[in-house]
Amino acid sequence: MIEGLKQALCKLPGVGPRTAQRMAFHLLERDREGARHIAEALTSALQNITNCTRCNNFSEQELCPICASARRKAEQLCVVESPADLEAIEKAGVYQGMYFVLMGRLSPLDGVGPDDLRLEQLEQRLAEGGVQELILATNLTVEGEATAHYIGELAQKRGVEVTRIAQGVPVGGELEYIDRNTLAHAISGRHKL
Amino acid sequence: MRVDREIGYILHTRNYRETSLIVEVFARRHGRLGLIAKGAKRQKSGMVGILNSFHPLLLSWSGRGELATLTNAESVSAYDRLAGDTLYCAFYLNELLMRLLHRHDAHETLFDSYQEALATLRTQGAGEPVLRIFEKRLLQELGYALVLDHDVERAQSIDPEALYQYVPERGPIQANGKQRHGIEVHGTSLLDLDREELENPRSRRETKRLMRAVLARHLGDKPLQSRLLLQQVFKLRADDLSPE
Ligand SMILES: [Zn+2]
Repeated sequence: MIEGLKQALCKLPGVGPRTAQRMAFHLLERDREGARHIAEALTSALQNITNCTRCNNFSEQELCPICASARRKAEQLCVVESPADLEAIEKAGVYQGMYFVLMGRLSPLDGVGPDDLRLEQLEQRLAEGGVQELILATNLTVEGEATAHYIGELAQKRGVEVTRIAQGVPVGGELEYIDRNTLAHAISGRHKL
Repeated sequence: MRVDREIGYILHTRNYRETSLIVEVFARRHGRLGLIAKGAKRQKSGMVGILNSFHPLLLSWSGRGELATLTNAESVSAYDRLAGDTLYCAFYLNELLMRLLHRHDAHETLFDSYQEALATLRTQGAGEPVLRIFEKRLLQELGYALVLDHDVERAQSIDPEALYQYVPERGPIQANGKQRHGIEVHGTSLLDLDREELENPRSRRETKRLMRAVLARHLGDKPLQSRLLLQQVFKLRADDLSPE
């Protein structure tokens, strides 16, 4: 039973067998109440959180608060790799448009190709019309750049204006790990692809 | 073991733990090796924005065994980023190296060819010849050099006008109506690849098929993902959006 718990904790990012053992012993010895709380929170999250049908971000409703909001600009669509990147841009507080979360990035050496991202859904979204500007906010890593170029071509074929977030974010940087100011500059200084 | 400021390129990185990376490196004097870059994703590590592929770096590492620890990485020159198709082609070069090089075998000549291929991509843009020449040199470096200057059955020089069957594990044999399991290629194509001058469209076409068949023997069944990506890019461009 304890082995099972340790193995389950090892699934957490950055947790190896030794940390898992420490966590398991801590929860069982000293914080059973905390353990119950974690278990409940996980169960309820698993039951209630799915992906927004429109942008793929995590959501409790079919549509996430951003997609459901009437105050956001529907003519701007910002493409990000992950929910963490979306969160980072939201925190920067300068962007008023909509999002599309790819849930990944093109990475040939990891075996991730265009078919592994939710590009059909993105194309459908563009085909509906209404999007005037597609903002490519994939990471400034080589994989993020490749992804931006691919999606850029896809959107330009449909006559949608495509912009890429500006440098300012250090090359090779990942959005999740960058400070707000830099990110705010990057969003406002985006340029045409 | 400590290694100080060796020139190398990053072939691939993957996340390791919360803020670290496992970096696959191609260093001139050490060949392909795996390094752990501890805390590399933290802003203060000084490695954010440095550990990019396709850009020469001075790398320092210490430790032995399968994975040593990257202790420092410096950029040699201003970052010159690749874009669009050249980026896809550069991924292709890296994937070939990741698939075909063993760790800890030095390949200095190949390293220079890699650097040259990246430089050509930057100055001349994406193109088939760069890839073919790199593939040819890669096979040569690994000990599987292609025979491009003589008919392996008749021991005669390649006749530019003649048509050959290239049998991947052997070499070119002049086609004389006999059925063989080879790739059909003209003498000129073989000689063009040998001289590394692939301006002729037919030579490009034929050497592409040839290299693909030869590489398949070394790559096994798993297709090259970057090749699939390039194919998808071309398909995307060719697809007509207008409804039938
Ligand atoms: Zn949404």
